[in-house]
Amino acid sequence: MDAWFHNENPYPFVPQEVLDRADSVRASLPNHYCDPRIAADLFEETLDEFLLCDEHGINVVAIEHHAGINSLFGANPLILGILARQTRTARILSLGTLISLRPDPVRIAEEYATADVISRGRLEIGFVKSGGSEMASNNANPVTNIERFWEAIDLITKALTSHAGPFRWEGKHFTHRHVNIWPRPWQQPHPRMWAATGDPTTASEVGRRGMVNVLVLRGAEETRRAWAAYRQARVEAGLPHVSSDHFAYAAFVYVGDTHAEGVKVGNKLLWFLNTSLKSAPQYSRFLPGAVPPQLAPQVYRTAPRSAAATNSNGAGTAGAAQPVAPAFQNARSLIGINTEQAMQRGLLFAGNPDTVYQQIMDFYAKVGGFNHLVMIGRSGFMTHAETEKSIKLFGKEVLPRLQAIAPIAVN
Amino acid sequence: MMHAMGNGTGELLTIGDMELEVIRRGTGQPILLLHGMQNVDPQAPFLDLLSQRAAIIAPSHPGFGHSPRQQGFDTVYDLVHLYLEMIESLPYERLTLMGLSFGGWLAAEIAVTCCHRIDRLILVDAFGIKISDRETPDILDVFNTSPQEVRRQSWHNPEQWAPDFNTMEDDAIIVHARNWEALCLYAWHPYMYNPQLPRWLRRITRPTRVLWGASDGIVTPAYGRAYSALIPGARFEIIPEAGHHPEIEQSAAFVERVVAFLEEHCV
Repeated sequence: MDAWFHNENPYPFVPQEVLDRADSVRASLPNHYCDPRIAADLFEETLDEFLLCDEHGINVVAIEHHAGINSLFGANPLILGILARQTRTARILSLGTLISLRPDPVRIAEEYATADVISRGRLEIGFVKSGGSEMASNNANPVTNIERFWEAIDLITKALTSHAGPFRWEGKHFTHRHVNIWPRPWQQPHPRMWAATGDPTTASEVGRRGMVNVLVLRGAEETRRAWAAYRQARVEAGLPHVSSDHFAYAAFVYVGDTHAEGVKVGNKLLWFLNTSLKSAPQYSRFLPGAVPPQLAPQVYRTAPRSAAATNSNGAGTAGAAQPVAPAFQNARSLIGINTEQAMQRGLLFAGNPDTVYQQIMDFYAKVGGFNHLVMIGRSGFMTHAETEKSIKLFGKEVLPRLQAIAPIAVN
Repeated sequence: MMHAMGNGTGELLTIGDMELEVIRRGTGQPILLLHGMQNVDPQAPFLDLLSQRAAIIAPSHPGFGHSPRQQGFDTVYDLVHLYLEMIESLPYERLTLMGLSFGGWLAAEIAVTCCHRIDRLILVDAFGIKISDRETPDILDVFNTSPQEVRRQSWHNPEQWAPDFNTMEDDAIIVHARNWEALCLYAWHPYMYNPQLPRWLRRITRPTRVLWGASDGIVTPAYGRAYSALIPGARFEIIPEAGHHPEIEQSAAFVERVVAFLEEHCV
């Protein structure tokens, strides 16, 4: 098993009363609350943490989010460029440029190819579907997001793998008269691709395409369901079985000297859930296309219909299909979670090296195996020193045990 | 071609290879009514009032109400051509075209293209054009504004008229969500207007009435007045104590204005 260190580089230094008053801590919080001098320090610390991971055999992850306290990484390719140059052996996962929100996938392909070449073949390309507040920040129609997602992936893949001169693309959402990126990627035919989703429909397509499916903070049940959909889609398409190398799980991870210390400091990571997910209704439950209309009754109402009203038409919401929670509903269920619940649900692995290893392996057994642990290792008010301590302990004490686990059949 | 829908929600109207849910009410001169951000509620009192004077044909746009939407049918261009085809297929030499809000945009586009089949044009709190400078939005972005603010800006008296999801039946909420999604699909970008449309409004040569809710905070009466000024001979009228939906908040006054306009040109 490999480990991948993930730090969104959040900006927590906004007064709590401001956050309490804001209807959203993403997209609409004025950027005068972001002091660029503090931001510069945070970038420096975060990039140093990635370099420390490189020294300890831990791979690194660069994400992208926009206009919120949860992350200062608004431009994924800039971070990739730095990591490609400054790390030496770590693999670098972009998770990822928000491809369905950017107008030109060809430029994204060019950025990825460039990072792959600078790093001499250490890039991995992860695709993410983006969240509601990012539709506002990026001026992107939420209703057609998933169509753009797959078309952008198709165009990026073709741009990375076409080497015989310019080709033309006239798709539904993207058109380009002349695609011919320089440089072409180092890795052939292209860097390994990942996609983050817990939605079984999307996971099925991820499976048919043979990408690594990464589940972020979804817990065992939803993880099992997504990976079952992935495998089933491959079977139905007559595609060969894959190993656990195609599955990744992302959770908060903190390693201390003692179990108590690990849990105490690891608890700080829950800031991500309890503070940084707050999103206004127009970016979440009322975002057009956020849920299929037939599920709207349970999402739009703030209180269940009164018994009288429900009885009057004899229906209520009882007959509605029970779907898999969309991402924003998953987010809503995570706000307010405590340490014990987070550990119990497999969202937080925290303790000393032995207990962290054990928690990871318990989760591994529950979901049938995965070969990539994405460790969200810093968030909220966790300090740089605390983060570095965990990285070192993880690298020395936990990682060797995980690396001893070879990919397994997962059928 | 029309036939009754099996589930009792209304009639179906077939246009080419598409079927639309449609409300048909009343007799008299035909009015094609193009709805706004929500499809027309069959129970809306203005329908009954107006149907005493006119034959109303009120389809739900594809993706709205219970009308299906075909894959790839997702632009205002598609909607305009659908209704051009409908106007040509209806058994009337001319009809009155009335557009509410988003439907007002469609009505203006259609009138620019097809005046010879239109008797009169009525625009009600209509979207469709850009008036102000690039840093001043004319139309409140309902997808990027808090629901409470949208509610406040939509109604003269939100307490009385704004929908309450907590008391609405499931089907009504499902329809609301379909409408919301379809509206976003069609009108996200440019948001609720066609930058080229103002140039061509001069082609509207039929009698035109522009009606506006005095308290409309989604698109203000000032916008309506400017819109009206771009249509040759159009008259602009304010309906007091109404927001973005005067046909709902002031149904009697609204119908009175419409009927007066219809009669004015019948003589």
